[in-house]
Amino acid sequence: MSGEGPMIALVWAGLFCPAALVAVLFAVTATGRRLPESVVGALTGLAMASAALLFGLALTLRLLDPSTPVLLDFGDWFSAGDGAFSVRLLADEMSLAFAVGTSLTCGVVSAFSRRYLHKEPGYHRYFTLFAVFATGTLMVVLAGTVEVLFAGWELLGLSSALLVGFFHERSAPLDNAMRVFAVYRISDAAMLSAAVLAHHFLGRGGLMASVVDPGGGGLAGLSPAAATAIAGLLVVAAAGKCAQLPLSGWLPRAMEGPTPSSAVYYGALSVHAGAYLLLRASPVLEQAPLVRGLLVAMGAFSALYATLVGRVQTDIKSALAFASLTQVSLILVEIGLGWYRLAVLHIAGHACLRLLQFLRAPSVLHDHHLAESAFGGHFAPSGSHLERLVPAGARSWLYRFALERAYVDAGIERVVVGPVLRGAAWLDACEHRLCDRVAGRAARSGSDEPRGNGDA
Amino acid sequence: MHELSGPWLVALLLGSLLLVAGSAWPCRTWGRRWWALGMGGALLAVCVPLLRDALAAGGAALADPADPMRAMGRAPLLQVDVLSAILLPFSLLIFLATVGLTPRAALARPTVRRQSVGLVLLLLALSTRDPVVWTISWAGSIGVLLLELRGLAGGRPLRIAAAYLLPSVVALAVGLGLLAHSPRDSVGHAAGIVLVALAVMIRKGIFPLHSWVPEVFEHGRLSAVSSFCAPQLGAWVAVAVLVPEGSRSVLAVVAGLSILTAVYGALATLSQVSARRALGWLFVSQSALVLAGIQSDAINGLAGGLSVWLSSGLAFSGLALALTLLEARRGALRLDRLNGGYERMPLLAATFLTLGLACVGFPGTFGFVAQELLVSGVTEQFPHVGFLVVVASALTAIAVLRMYFSLFCGPDPGRLPLRLGRRELFFLVALAALTVSTGLAPGPLVSSRTAAAAELLKVRAAERAPASAPRDRPATASSR
Repeated sequence: MSGEGPMIALVWAGLFCPAALVAVLFAVTATGRRLPESVVGALTGLAMASAALLFGLALTLRLLDPSTPVLLDFGDWFSAGDGAFSVRLLADEMSLAFAVGTSLTCGVVSAFSRRYLHKEPGYHRYFTLFAVFATGTLMVVLAGTVEVLFAGWELLGLSSALLVGFFHERSAPLDNAMRVFAVYRISDAAMLSAAVLAHHFLGRGGLMASVVDPGGGGLAGLSPAAATAIAGLLVVAAAGKCAQLPLSGWLPRAMEGPTPSSAVYYGALSVHAGAYLLLRASPVLEQAPLVRGLLVAMGAFSALYATLVGRVQTDIKSALAFASLTQVSLILVEIGLGWYRLAVLHIAGHACLRLLQFLRAPSVLHDHHLAESAFGGHFAPSGSHLERLVPAGARSWLYRFALERAYVDAGIERVVVGPVLRGAAWLDACEHRLCDRVAGRAARSGSDEPRGNGDA
Repeated sequence: MHELSGPWLVALLLGSLLLVAGSAWPCRTWGRRWWALGMGGALLAVCVPLLRDALAAGGAALADPADPMRAMGRAPLLQVDVLSAILLPFSLLIFLATVGLTPRAALARPTVRRQSVGLVLLLLALSTRDPVVWTISWAGSIGVLLLELRGLAGGRPLRIAAAYLLPSVVALAVGLGLLAHSPRDSVGHAAGIVLVALAVMIRKGIFPLHSWVPEVFEHGRLSAVSSFCAPQLGAWVAVAVLVPEGSRSVLAVVAGLSILTAVYGALATLSQVSARRALGWLFVSQSALVLAGIQSDAINGLAGGLSVWLSSGLAFSGLALALTLLEARRGALRLDRLNGGYERMPLLAATFLTLGLACVGFPGTFGFVAQELLVSGVTEQFPHVGFLVVVASALTAIAVLRMYFSLFCGPDPGRLPLRLGRRELFFLVALAALTVSTGLAPGPLVSSRTAAAAELLKVRAAERAPASAPRDRPATASSR
């Protein structure tokens, strides 16, 4: 077909731009040197601008020539028997539009970051991780196979966690980064499990084939139980990325990272990755009404939770994080109800608004004073309608409930994390006792201080 | 049997003996190191034509034209095939990395000599299918480890390692003997398989025979312990003996225990305070994944297991050696505090993270390729426990990131200079680059592992053919 060659070249080149940036920055790190800030910033801007231009051209080509193939096949990256990793990219209107949006967003944020992180010791590290994020997001957006989607999904999660821990001289960012990463790994595990199940029931490329051609009969042989299992795992994967209950505790903690990364991750792009995944997997979702119902319920409760908790936050980034969570939860409700076009519009509008709000967050007090000066006085306090709706006796309880974030984090610590870690510690103690017996000593020799024998 | 194009195996073994002889020569530390590195590099070069011949031969075994047994009119002792050919340079790379990265203070003459002897024994085991040679190599390498553990921590690691590993020698010897002399489907054959399986499980640290691993990592010399564990000689015996000759039930039990060990090891890694002990548990988890994959009946699962063997072996060695470098500068390290110093050693931090992520299968590394194959194969065959592989992978990734944050992040300690020397930089970056480059271009490695897996499955299918059918019995461990 006439348009296939140029489309393949454009999409491949567009994806290559941030990937090449990653390679360059890693290679420089490997030599032990650092590029000047201006060079790093310029390279990043160039990569993002080039990607945006290339994807824009690809989108134009698709709109002008709808007969251009949607699924671009780049062959097998590797294969072994039935197991193969095919590199296929999806180049339909939605994925190309999202790719353009992603590149533009990353370009804007990189320009902001050049100034915001000027003279910051981790400048080079930030842009390296930023490039990894951009590559991962584009892979998720353009994925034509579940394997490509999964690879991008993992890159997104890793770069997010490392940027949350960007100010690594302090312990709080690192603790929060670990929590973010732990939730992301749950999401990754669910994603991988869904991929394995999809491969088993739908064959190689079956899941994305149903995305490309929902009415093509690719899902005809899928039993309700299999569809429910695959859809359920995809919803769990999306829930982790979208910070849905009960996996919502990581989102405010992720605000420890630099403001530009918070903007692009939790305002514009990463937080919508789960919603995008469910949009692409909607043909499977439609075969699993139970999962759709659960998705709607999860989104609704998460939206209610986020709007309550967001109202008691005292710092701007946390407030924006919960506002973001409210909207993302509503987007998931829309997807669960089958309102896909509304969800796409909602994603686009929310991403733009929240990106702006996050980038202006450091100046929020200054902006507020400017606005009040222009207004000629203080703004009237908002939210008084809630005081009329909620009885006085319940207000303080609700306030405490929101302040403690519905005790979700504490509950997970008490019910899941604590017992698991205590169990692991108990097993380790059993191991020590066993080794004490084997070594012929009544108690462990020496102190508890770990010893570095022989090599130090 | 076909032949290699030259006496590469004999050259490899003679060269490694020369390496041992030279390492015993009294000289300065830098002389010993560069002798070992130079000889190791030369031996690596010998592996190139050997690898080429083995890959060109498909699955056929190749004998060495200079094999001394042939001169005596007997069956060749030395042979290589597509499975073992890649394991020879793999073992040499681990040796080179160990010698290149071990701090000077830990590179005494006995250490280099023992490492060299360990290398000879490993290369010998990989170059043959003779059970007597395997037993000698197995026992000899354990002897080298026990010598390295002598005098440390009041003798604790030595006693514990000996209590587990010495019985594995007996189990292997008796098991291989029974297999060699018992007809298939007899009680003796079944007993032999069980004994060999036990020996493999001890060596690879599979539950419940795993407790020695974290102990020797905690108290032993990291470089010596990792060079003993990382090549995973137990996996070699598993593919050469258990895979072709083991019954489905034995393989299923071993696979099930391996998968559970992978999760157990990953959980244990998360709760550790000692960095060394955490590393030991990480090895337990990764080693178990290799064995789980090797038991798979599916070609992708088996190829995945063989690939995880390579990726985790190299990445884990690098991780252990990076920790050695850190300890040489900072002393013993705890994971319940932030040790700091990232700004003064960013390259060490970056390579540590890269190697750690390669261990757990992150995209961009060969570990990702290997894990993809492994997960798809194991879950197809063992659907209920197979998803635990996914859980183990998730947990080990969290553990690796925890280690990275603890070891490199936090306030700058501001004490000793932490910069790496050029030699250390070279080996670290080379290891990380190898992991990433094979991850981005995995085709040749995956093809070789797939060919090896196909050959193993062919041998297994032939071994399991009905007894009444006329059988052209292929060469296996007990009959080659």
